[in-house]
Amino acid sequence: MTQPASPSLPTKPAISWPDLLVAVALTALGIWLFFGTQRIADSGMNTIVSPRVFPLIVSSGLTVLGLLLLVATLRGAKAEPAAEEDTDPDAPVNLAAAGIILGGFLIGALLLSPLGFVFGTALMYFSVAFAFGERRYLLLVAISLIVALITYLVFTRGLGLNLPPGILKGIL
Amino acid sequence: MDALTSLFAGFETALTPLNLLWALIGVTLGTLVGVLPGIGPALTVALLLPVTAKLPPVSAFIMFAGIYYGGMFGGSTTSILLNTPGESASIITALEGNKMARKGRAAAALATAAIGSFVAGTIGTMLLTFAAPAIAEIAVQIPPSAKFALILLAFVTISATFGGSPLRGLLSLFFGLAIGLVGTDLQSGQARFTLGFPELLDGVDFVTVVIGLFAIGETLFVATRLRKNSGSVIKLQGNASMSREDWRRSWKPWLRGTALGFPFGAIPAGGAEIPTFLSYTLEKKLSKHPEEFGHGAIEGVAGPEAANNASAAGVLVPLLTLGLPTSATAAILLAAFQQYGLQPGPLLFITNGDLVWGLIASLYIGNFMLLLLNLPLAPVWAKLLNIPRPFLYAGILVFSTVGIYSLNNSIFDLFLLAIFGLVGYGMRRFDFPVTPAIIGVILGPTAENFFRTAMQQSNGDYTVFATQPSSAFILVIVVLALLLPPILRARARARA
Repeated sequence: MTQPASPSLPTKPAISWPDLLVAVALTALGIWLFFGTQRIADSGMNTIVSPRVFPLIVSSGLTVLGLLLLVATLRGAKAEPAAEEDTDPDAPVNLAAAGIILGGFLIGALLLSPLGFVFGTALMYFSVAFAFGERRYLLLVAISLIVALITYLVFTRGLGLNLPPGILKGIL
Repeated sequence: MDALTSLFAGFETALTPLNLLWALIGVTLGTLVGVLPGIGPALTVALLLPVTAKLPPVSAFIMFAGIYYGGMFGGSTTSILLNTPGESASIITALEGNKMARKGRAAAALATAAIGSFVAGTIGTMLLTFAAPAIAEIAVQIPPSAKFALILLAFVTISATFGGSPLRGLLSLFFGLAIGLVGTDLQSGQARFTLGFPELLDGVDFVTVVIGLFAIGETLFVATRLRKNSGSVIKLQGNASMSREDWRRSWKPWLRGTALGFPFGAIPAGGAEIPTFLSYTLEKKLSKHPEEFGHGAIEGVAGPEAANNASAAGVLVPLLTLGLPTSATAAILLAAFQQYGLQPGPLLFITNGDLVWGLIASLYIGNFMLLLLNLPLAPVWAKLLNIPRPFLYAGILVFSTVGIYSLNNSIFDLFLLAIFGLVGYGMRRFDFPVTPAIIGVILGPTAENFFRTAMQQSNGDYTVFATQPSSAFILVIVVLALLLPPILRARARARA
């Protein structure tokens, strides 16, 4: 079944670089897992099926699927970002906001033990709200501290969880 | 009639004042969190896991039952008052219910959704009551090879058959399976893919994956593409209530929606989306005034909402009798069971009968409580939709942090959470469905376990899966589920 060539030559589809990167990353993950499987010791008690078998199946599957995605992407396949409740598909993409959230989260996580849960999570709260465009700083600092404090009290006093008090030890 | 006897015993468990209180707290928290935009039922259950951490198992599951149904109720409220579905199963509700709300009929839309959910939930729970013990009795005899085949079937249907893109669904599933491999292999004691971190010897906690992919991923994604004017929330005057005419037009769709939703929930067919769409189409066909559909027809809310909730009850059938989750929410419930050292399945009815029946009884109670809560409290829930987005998402992140940190009191888990948050962002940005990954993480180790047990019983003979009749039959369905949709699509394209 050969199609007669259409008069207007089909232009080569543009390759989307971000999509290509994702496809390569998934394929690479599959290959890396595949070779990592060799490092699983094959000894052990009472195993008819070695602990390697399942990882081999999973890593091979991931590699094959990754390659399929790679081929599809090279042919011009392109993913459409999801539409969520609070997103605007036409809005300019603001990656800095995600960076601020992640940065605040990681610093807050590191400060969780030395400064305590309240200040750590207050910093996280502040950075997310800031990234979402809140600029009333006094209000925001107050709310961050209040939310963190109430969360701490509810989970430690009310539900018996163990959260680090940090520098507020003895006060809380 | 021993199902009834067991159920009465279950009510004895569930009707103690303390357990009633847990059920009430469960439905209230479930609705409260479920109403918040951007949080679907699955994330509702995951975020509220730490709340139950210190409870005895029976109370914890009674609370989970409330959270599970409450999250569904809350989600439909959001769909009606904001024109934005929190999850695919609410798309129809968002379409038709929001149209009703814009015409000033928000109260009727909320009422038909709430009462329809109650009717469907109650009928669904009744079907569960009688079906579950019968299925559990059969399920005891299912050999490991067939159980492995069943899990494969769930994998394929959830990731490939009913998704938009089978390739992306399968990739998501395999990513989940890969995460599920991390940790110590239970049979041989070998560490796998722990990258030298002692923290990973116990594997990656599924809650970290769920909250990372859903909550953190969502927060990062929304932050990069924030809608400047968050959707207009419909003002609600007074309680949710219906006129006589609304009742007359609603009761048949409720029953039809229930009939569609329950079986779809009970088979591994990718959750509640399909029955809600089917119900909508059916109501439109049967309607005397199809022209109203798309402009706020009450049947278009009543039917799909009932289908959605009946399917939520249906999902519990394979979960409780086979330990097989057929939706993301069910997968999280399964993992919650495992945290208590309980493996849902036919044996659970024998070993922990009081717990299972207490849970089933509390589903009836929770459903009734939700009806009482939701009709008068609808205006209160509506107020929650006006929370400024910066404060809402900041709160979600803090709550996620508490949940993950309190698992093992370790900062390491928080870094894992950040990594899965980034992955979750990527999945939304590049259109990978999240549910298959969750199912992969939770069911992967179980699948491996059944696979090996089957191989041990056959002394290493791989053909056991093809020679054992029930496994062979299920595997044929698996192959069909994988191959038929693309073939049908190709034929449809060829005709076009």
